[in-house]
Amino acid sequence: MSMLSSFLFISAGLFCIGLFIVLSKRNAIQILIGIEMMINAAILNLVGFGKYDNLANSGQIFALFAIVLAAAAVAVALAIILNVYRQYKTIDPAKVERLKD
Amino acid sequence: METVLTHSDTTTIQLAITAVVLPFVAFLLNFLLVPKQSKLSGILSGLAICTSFALAIFVFFQVWNHPALHVQRVWFTIGGTQIQLGIWLNNLSVLMLLLVSAIALPVHIYSIAYMKGDEQYTRYFTYLSFFCFAMLALVVMDNLLLLYAFWELVGFASYLLIGFWFTREKAVQANKKAFIMNRIGDVALLTGIMLIYAHYHTFDLVTLFGAHPMGATGERWVTIAGLCFLMGAIAKSAQFPLHTWLPDAMEGPTSVSALIHAATMVAAGIFLLGRVYPLFDSTVLTTIAVIGCFTAFMAATIALTQTDLKRILAYSTISQLGYMMMAMGIGAYSSALFHLATHAFFKCLLFLAAGVIIHEMQRLKHKHKLDFDPQNIMNMGGLRKIMPVTFVTCCVAALALIGFPLTAGCLSKDGILIQGFAWAEGKSPVYLIIPIGAVLTSLLTAFYIGRLMFKVFFGESRLQGISADAEPEAHEENPLLYLPMILLALGSLFPLFSLDPLKFEKAWIVKGFAGFVGKAGSSGELIPLLISLLSIGVVAIAYIVYVKQKLQWLKFNGVLFNISYNQWYIDAFYDGVIVKATVGLSRAIAWFDTYVIDGVVKLVAGIGLVLSGISAWIDQYIIDGFLNALTYFVKQAGNFIRGFQTGRVQGYLFTMLIIVLALYILKTFI
Repeated sequence: MSMLSSFLFISAGLFCIGLFIVLSKRNAIQILIGIEMMINAAILNLVGFGKYDNLANSGQIFALFAIVLAAAAVAVALAIILNVYRQYKTIDPAKVERLKD
Repeated sequence: METVLTHSDTTTIQLAITAVVLPFVAFLLNFLLVPKQSKLSGILSGLAICTSFALAIFVFFQVWNHPALHVQRVWFTIGGTQIQLGIWLNNLSVLMLLLVSAIALPVHIYSIAYMKGDEQYTRYFTYLSFFCFAMLALVVMDNLLLLYAFWELVGFASYLLIGFWFTREKAVQANKKAFIMNRIGDVALLTGIMLIYAHYHTFDLVTLFGAHPMGATGERWVTIAGLCFLMGAIAKSAQFPLHTWLPDAMEGPTSVSALIHAATMVAAGIFLLGRVYPLFDSTVLTTIAVIGCFTAFMAATIALTQTDLKRILAYSTISQLGYMMMAMGIGAYSSALFHLATHAFFKCLLFLAAGVIIHEMQRLKHKHKLDFDPQNIMNMGGLRKIMPVTFVTCCVAALALIGFPLTAGCLSKDGILIQGFAWAEGKSPVYLIIPIGAVLTSLLTAFYIGRLMFKVFFGESRLQGISADAEPEAHEENPLLYLPMILLALGSLFPLFSLDPLKFEKAWIVKGFAGFVGKAGSSGELIPLLISLLSIGVVAIAYIVYVKQKLQWLKFNGVLFNISYNQWYIDAFYDGVIVKATVGLSRAIAWFDTYVIDGVVKLVAGIGLVLSGISAWIDQYIIDGFLNALTYFVKQAGNFIRGFQTGRVQGYLFTMLIIVLALYILKTFI
């Protein structure tokens, strides 16, 4: 078992755990955590594949950008969650059904 | 036709028109303004006819034996044909103008008294004026179209007046009968007019007879047209076979019977024959003579046994009209018109007297609370003591009807008989039947009128408990009733028509139609004398039978009596054969209509219904069904897809996941 495949396995597991959290949790913050886990799984993949570019380290650089973007996205998401809470007095996504027509 | 009219001629024509229009004015006033039961209506109509009479006298003296006056204007134009509207005053029309107004005047006066107290007093005079207008207009019109129009109008007026007491079932039946029977003649007359128009393209009588010698041409259609006109005259003048309406028409007021159904309107048929006389060829003339003679004889035999006073007079009228008809047919044109004029006087008088008698009988009926038919002569008798004026005037009229010397009827009847024999002279002996029939009729006339007079006026009253002597004489108190009768009685005597009471040729009416006088035969002197003697004999027999109550064997109840009493079964025949056939035919047609025509229509309708049912089914289940299935599918699809749209973010995510996975799986394995 090479290094890369162990990276990919961990990443896949992480993604699946994130996905499960996103789909199953009843709390927006936990879902956000799940999303972060999925992003981090993707970042782990970037870092893992970064070994094929030892010269420019573009994998690592992409990972850094992704982390920054994820942080920005989390900020936006938290702002949305805050607003949702103001609106519905809850952050349970099951109870927020206004996206329906 | 553009003859220059002098001033006096223009005046004459204007006066003639005024005479015609005045009754119409009275009609309009009565119709529109006068209340229902106002005495005013009688006075209005009376005044109108009185003025008309005065004007008619003046017009008469202006025109009689002078050249005929003829004026016309264009009435309307159809295509290239101009229809003229005009009047034509010749000897015939002014004579009729005078006669109609002269008879109408006493009848109006009489009616004022006779109809007194009737609920429909105004309506009566409205109709009477209307009739006078139509009749006067009929005699002066110069073209066949207008003649026909007024011909119909007098028929209509007659219809209204027969059914005047429209609450009586019999009156309504009678006026319908009169109307329908007249319609048969009217259709024939119209056919005749159309035939003439088709050949000569004019309705104008003056142009027609001025330019075309019609009767002499010998063409087939002239004969047919002549027969058509004859048919019209037969219906209007109640000749066989269309005579049965006249006795029934006696359901109208008696004064109406006197004016319309004895003196004037029924004479319109004779007038029509006189007006279109040049049209007739020898075939038609012989037909006229035969029909006239037969009718005269038949009606006289019927009159022998009838018991209803007015019916006897009605059959007498038919008989006398038959005389005139026969006279027309044998070429005794002038005598026919002469007889028309004299007959109008004495027959009108007889009817007016009948009216008075019936009133008197009704009075007796109410006074003594008896129940009998006031028109039945079997219930009368001894009336000469109660009603002397009526008796005397009636005697004059009866003698005139018999043709007794010194009366007007003698002159005119002799004229016809003499010319009848002259006509048959030199022809085959078969033609002798006609004058002999006329003589027989004349004797029968003497008998039935003798019977009537003796039954009504002589002997003792046949009513139980009433003695004629016990009745006061004051019942002819109303001079409006007996004055007209006296006037008419004077008119029935010879001086009005001729100063010589024995020679009909001297009568001014005969001279006025000199162009048409038939030659008097060799036996001219003998016949009148013989017939007068015979008539007196017959009257004497009637006297013996009905007053002295002898010779009872004459009152047999055999076949002949039944034939006569039942009016030759003609009505029965019409009811049994023609009416039944018509009703049967109508029923058959109604059946055909209901079952065959309606059946076909219903069948077609049924087929249509079935077809439309099928197409409705196709529409409902196939076309609509397809669309419904489509929408159902779309709806179900929509509902299915709607299930995914839960509104929950996680739901969407899950869906996305499933789809992406599905895509991957599909990509991988397919």
